[in-house]
Amino acid sequence: MDYRKLIEMVSVSKREALSSKLVDVILLSKNDEKMPSQLANTILHYWQQDTLMSESGLTALLEAAALLDPGKTVDVFTALELVDMAAQIREATVKT
Amino acid sequence: MVKFGIEFVPREPYWRIIYYAIQAEKGGFSNLWITDHFNNRNVYVTLTAAAIYTNKITFGPGVTNPYMVNPVFTAQAIATLNELVPGRVVLGIGAGDKTTLESVGVEMQKPLNAVYEAVDIFRKITSGESVAYRGEVFKTAGAKFLFKPKGGIPVYVGAQGPKMLELAGRIGDGVLINACHPKDVEYAVNCVKEGVQQASKRVDQVDVAAYTAFSVHEDLKKATKAAVPVVSFIVAGSPAVLLERHGIDVGKAEMIREALKANDWGKAFAGVTPEMIEAFSVCGTPDTCIERIGQLLKSGISQFVVGSPIGPNVREAIDLISGKIVPHFRG
Repeated sequence: MDYRKLIEMVSVSKREALSSKLVDVILLSKNDEKMPSQLANTILHYWQQDTLMSESGLTALLEAAALLDPGKTVDVFTALELVDMAAQIREATVKT
Repeated sequence: MVKFGIEFVPREPYWRIIYYAIQAEKGGFSNLWITDHFNNRNVYVTLTAAAIYTNKITFGPGVTNPYMVNPVFTAQAIATLNELVPGRVVLGIGAGDKTTLESVGVEMQKPLNAVYEAVDIFRKITSGESVAYRGEVFKTAGAKFLFKPKGGIPVYVGAQGPKMLELAGRIGDGVLINACHPKDVEYAVNCVKEGVQQASKRVDQVDVAAYTAFSVHEDLKKATKAAVPVVSFIVAGSPAVLLERHGIDVGKAEMIREALKANDWGKAFAGVTPEMIEAFSVCGTPDTCIERIGQLLKSGISQFVVGSPIGPNVREAIDLISGKIVPHFRG
């Protein structure tokens, strides 16, 4: 799934909330072992630079959240009324 | 002005700890402490990641000990870190935890000598000296780094008992006091002051830190629930004299100790009383934590270290501390 394209469809007004909720999914996940270190390092870099709300930052967060906890990731998009995107993530993560 | 430090246990993966470390740095914390136990992830690897992803926070092991790792190797690790981020690295060192040492067959011999000598060797070798040392515990024969270390790395001594506290005041650039209650901290600070006077230093030349079990949440019950497991272990490891100072039933503490030994967490945690929480943690809403920290400051500490569990939700807790507690003390 092209996470970048999906993130590009998220309106700017929802990006801060999306970023925060995806961070929660990642930090509270019990599936630590599923986090690729390169992706973790990328997220830490964006966090250090305060750019987790950028399209690149959100893409990395979404990729990590979908790997660690796809169900909660779908819930985040649903809660933010990004229903079409939630459906796409559900479909992609169920397939994988 | 009081400094705020934060402690993390690298039982968690490095990326989670570093995320929180970055958050803490952004939120006004000045010190990051990473615990050092062989059964968790390695402290220096974790600190290296912290060095890469933070910009100004000061950090170090909180604390290592001279029994598991020879002081020359500790000095090597710290000196190398200090090349990576000059001036942001400190050494935290104490005698270690007897139970952990025993689990790997290491005897805690002459702890006062061991800590004194380890600090002495650390300072000499990180100053570029060739160290020929004949101590009670450690001996070196002209040990010297083959690189030029940047010296002047501050040493914080972790201490709990009166003699170690006095030694810490005497030889430390900082002291990490393992205590949460004003009565205990006041007693500890007085011991530290004895050592400071013996070394003809001024108290304000030593950074005296209260290293606490801390839990904050807007909901008191949630904050307390998160503190219970940590407090149960502290109670189990506390001597009778300390328990009695806080009016804690020694029999109840023994029951918790036995339950923990039997891995009966439910029984152990259920045995934790409000008195135990009060004595061995700083726990509650932001306002109650502010009140307790204020009391501790009156005892003479210059750094307040937020230790495990920090809160039921660590990210939210760091935000609460940064947003409500730190600003209260910074005016």
